[in-house]
Amino acid sequence: MTAPILDIEAVSAGYGSGSRQVTALREVSLQVQPGEIFGLLGPNGAGKTTLLACLQGLHTPTGGRLTVAGRPPREAKGALGVQLQKTALLDDLSATELLEVYAALYDVRLTGEQIDTLLERFGLSEQRNKFARQMSGGQQQRLALAIAVANDPQIVMLDEPTAALDPHARRDVWDVLRGLHEDGRTILITTHSMEEAEALCGRVAIIDQGQIMAVGSPATIVAGLGLHATLKAAIDLPLETVRGLPAVTSVRYTGQHLEIQSSSPQSTLPALHALATQQGKVITEISLRQPSLEDAFLALTGRSLN
Amino acid sequence: MYRFLTLTKAMFLIHVRDRSLLFWNFAFPVFLMVIYGAIFAGDDLAGFMTWMMPGVLAGNLMAFGLIGSSSMMTELRAKGVLRRLQASPIASSDLIGAYVIANVAMALMTAVVVIVVGVLFYGVALNPLNLVVALPMIVVTVVAAIALGQVISGIAPRAGAAVAIGQLFYFGQMFITDLFMPIEMMPDWVQQIGPWLPGYAMAQLVRPALAEGVLHADWVQHLFLLAVYTVVALFLAARLFKWEARTA
Repeated sequence: MTAPILDIEAVSAGYGSGSRQVTALREVSLQVQPGEIFGLLGPNGAGKTTLLACLQGLHTPTGGRLTVAGRPPREAKGALGVQLQKTALLDDLSATELLEVYAALYDVRLTGEQIDTLLERFGLSEQRNKFARQMSGGQQQRLALAIAVANDPQIVMLDEPTAALDPHARRDVWDVLRGLHEDGRTILITTHSMEEAEALCGRVAIIDQGQIMAVGSPATIVAGLGLHATLKAAIDLPLETVRGLPAVTSVRYTGQHLEIQSSSPQSTLPALHALATQQGKVITEISLRQPSLEDAFLALTGRSLN
Repeated sequence: MYRFLTLTKAMFLIHVRDRSLLFWNFAFPVFLMVIYGAIFAGDDLAGFMTWMMPGVLAGNLMAFGLIGSSSMMTELRAKGVLRRLQASPIASSDLIGAYVIANVAMALMTAVVVIVVGVLFYGVALNPLNLVVALPMIVVTVVAAIALGQVISGIAPRAGAAVAIGQLFYFGQMFITDLFMPIEMMPDWVQQIGPWLPGYAMAQLVRPALAEGVLHADWVQHLFLLAVYTVVALFLAARLFKWEARTA
């Protein structure tokens, strides 16, 4: 196994001092391997941004140890591509000027051709001479992403890259991120969208109140919690007979529907069908929902994410 | 070097493209000269302007530092631009260096505008030698003004607050430090206080140099006072400097 590119060991962090001190991270440990798309998933205030700030050398932890590409964060800034939560651009500069300036901060001198390629990749060719303040929210967000990779970084850290984007623009950003991943870069994003984490991330860490609740691929996390699938059927059957079907863990009525939790829907379904036939009834409508990261989050924290 | 020059250029561009800055530091001083010329000049417009123009110039440099430079830095902080810059490998000394160079360039441009208007439209007789004597005095004034402005940006939470505080100190000094009105016309108590303010030292350093190509008899004293203000301001500015706006 290769050495982790982001190595976080028992890191604690907080803000303020004395009696007004607020703890943002409690002994967080996490390893991210080179080439991963890794997601930090959690509600607002969970500590995601603080963890990024520690990795970016913007915030000093109160305890623990962390390295970025084998170096202390403050010495690794040059290896990072960064997009902060607030897009924070010099908004009286044009897209072309901004790419030039932010690459220059990393001692990278972009040619006109490289700038054109970047603008095209992020769908900003027509905005090349537009000032950042004249752009739409989606365009600014894409520009911030283009800036984040203008220095050709090994590691890209994006704080809620699709926040406040419409679903279409969000999918465009996902495509761009997948492209960056195919380039072999390591990508660390924060999100509070389960959908985004499942669509994009090979592994995620669920963070709540400054602590890591679970780490793994979305599927492993869900499977590891032993969460059950939910079957919803439009049918009227006695609850106790349904409860006796194979793999059923709980049953209840919700309005017109019978809602069944099953640890193995493939064995529950045929049995349910057989029971209905035997009682002379027909299932007019049925749906099956596999447990998602959303359910995992609820199970882990006792709260729903959004 | 490429990094530093590119950042300096960017800092210069954001100043040049800032409309309120262009108004207050380029249009407003010209407007002042027009108004003053129309009201107070009397028969000797050129003579009056020879006294007036250096005052407008120095006062405008002070306004640029206290209002323009301070609010721009405050805005960069409030918007999160400083934090994004901090996440890059650039040294903070490079960032501040680039900002100050862009500020000095901008301030010198405002000085050129005031001088050109004074010479072309008001017939102010300006010996090129005057410019040579005045340039160091103008630079000293600019640096002091920027340093004072950065104290304001250290305490102002938003650009609007920086503008308000800057205007308070600027308008407060306009008339009582010999910049826009001869201090001899002021009440006794103003004549007691005025000479201790930075605006007075700026006026005494810039006016004789620009108008007559000579240094004020007490120029060392004025330079010393301004240097004290600058050093104290730089110390406070460094102490108060923050990369990030306080979040509620």
